[in-house]
Amino acid sequence: MFAALLTAGCCAALLHAGAVAAAPFAYITNQASHDVSVVDLASNLVVATVPVGRSPAGVAVAGRTGRVFISNPDSKTISVIDMRQQRVVDTWDAGSGPVGIAVAADGARLFVADWYSNRLLVYDTLAARAAQPIAVGRAPAGVAVLGNGPTVFVAERDDDSVAVVDTSTQRVRSRVRVGSHPFALLHDSARQRVYALNVQSNDISVIDVQDLDRPVVLATVAVGKAPYGAALAAAGTLLYITNQHDDTVSVVDAVSLKLQRTLTGFGYPEGIAAHGDKVYVVNWMDDALSVLDAASGRLLATVATGRNSRGFGDFIGQLESTTP
Amino acid sequence: MLFRRALLVSPLALLLQPAAAHGPTRQKVSEKITIAAPAAAVWARIGNFDALKDWHPAVAESAADKGNTEGSVRLVKLKGGGQLVESLESHNAAQMKYSYRAKDGGALPVTNYTSTISVVADGNQSVVEWRGAFYRGFPNNDPPPDQNDDAAVKAVTGVYQSGLAALKTLVERR
Repeated sequence: MFAALLTAGCCAALLHAGAVAAAPFAYITNQASHDVSVVDLASNLVVATVPVGRSPAGVAVAGRTGRVFISNPDSKTISVIDMRQQRVVDTWDAGSGPVGIAVAADGARLFVADWYSNRLLVYDTLAARAAQPIAVGRAPAGVAVLGNGPTVFVAERDDDSVAVVDTSTQRVRSRVRVGSHPFALLHDSARQRVYALNVQSNDISVIDVQDLDRPVVLATVAVGKAPYGAALAAAGTLLYITNQHDDTVSVVDAVSLKLQRTLTGFGYPEGIAAHGDKVYVVNWMDDALSVLDAASGRLLATVATGRNSRGFGDFIGQLESTTP
Repeated sequence: MLFRRALLVSPLALLLQPAAAHGPTRQKVSEKITIAAPAAAVWARIGNFDALKDWHPAVAESAADKGNTEGSVRLVKLKGGGQLVESLESHNAAQMKYSYRAKDGGALPVTNYTSTISVVADGNQSVVEWRGAFYRGFPNNDPPPDQNDDAAVKAVTGVYQSGLAALKTLVERR
């Protein structure tokens, strides 16, 4: 174990100096082994297994600052992983049940849904300091940030709504009713939309957020049972959705909002993220990451992860600068 | 035996249970067995939702009100006492698998229980896989030992292992 750490330290130092540091990594939270599998997407190999807090679920990657944030609902903390060293460098208190987590594009602010206390937690990541929490609706789950903020979208699962939060005024600016029990959210910047995945009604609410004071549901798209994760792939033209209770992935045309195909063969698929021409699906039941060709949906590779993998959030990122 | 914890899941616990994901973490059990018989023959034994009583040694009755149609409700009565009410989520004869959900904790110390059983051909043999996802019986922190994560996993593992072992014996017997 100690030897492994030393080895990781040595390679991280090498990576730091070289161009290899730009390789994208997937950070997969493993809820039963209490760690994070770091997958090098150039080789599809697990290059590190990082111990974090208890029952890690959510993940957000800030390539700009070289930090990965992990929510640990059972230890009620956030683990901060340094992408150069692939190890935890800080741990922050995080309310009563941190779940959904998202970071601003510039990496400066982190937003965490506190499931039990109906608040959005806000962190200044550079100062490593918690800011004033913001009251939101019941059972806040998925979180998505508009660019660098200050606008943050929060799924209020038990209220069947999505809140548009202005984190500069620390208030909910507007709210829109969606389907039954929205859990995950995905922001589509090109179309100024937010997709809310409704776990109970088995559909997606497509929300137009051009006017942040008047978000409107444009369409409701039926998918499989218990949609849990979403990603935009193939240059933003395809919306991939994992259906936890069907062991399937729905592929929706992001322009027409028509279901294009349903992929099978997954095991309780949860987290999903896209990078380049590939899509990565986390299989909770199978403890594995499926690598798919984004255009065709074809399975290209399978990578073994830790136990009870979740990957709730945008789990892929790469260092955007070689200087700390 | 396996199901005797049954009544320890109190009504209060069920009320407190958060309707989904957080608090206790979701647990899983996945068990497989290889049977020396063609997949179609194995599926013929287990494929009907109401056939559980014909192959699981702990089950006395397993009548289902709408057969293999989605939403069919199966009342599983156990030989040792206790019962489970399960609804059929999906049934796919072509793929030889079905999925169901327990309507309440029932005779197992679990909540929010979903399960899938499937048969896959492996040459002249077949592999039966039974897997379930669930939360422990106790919804809050500091569960009593008979309602913690380990108790839930142990109970479901026992159901699957004993059922699959009995199925193998039944099918392979000539």
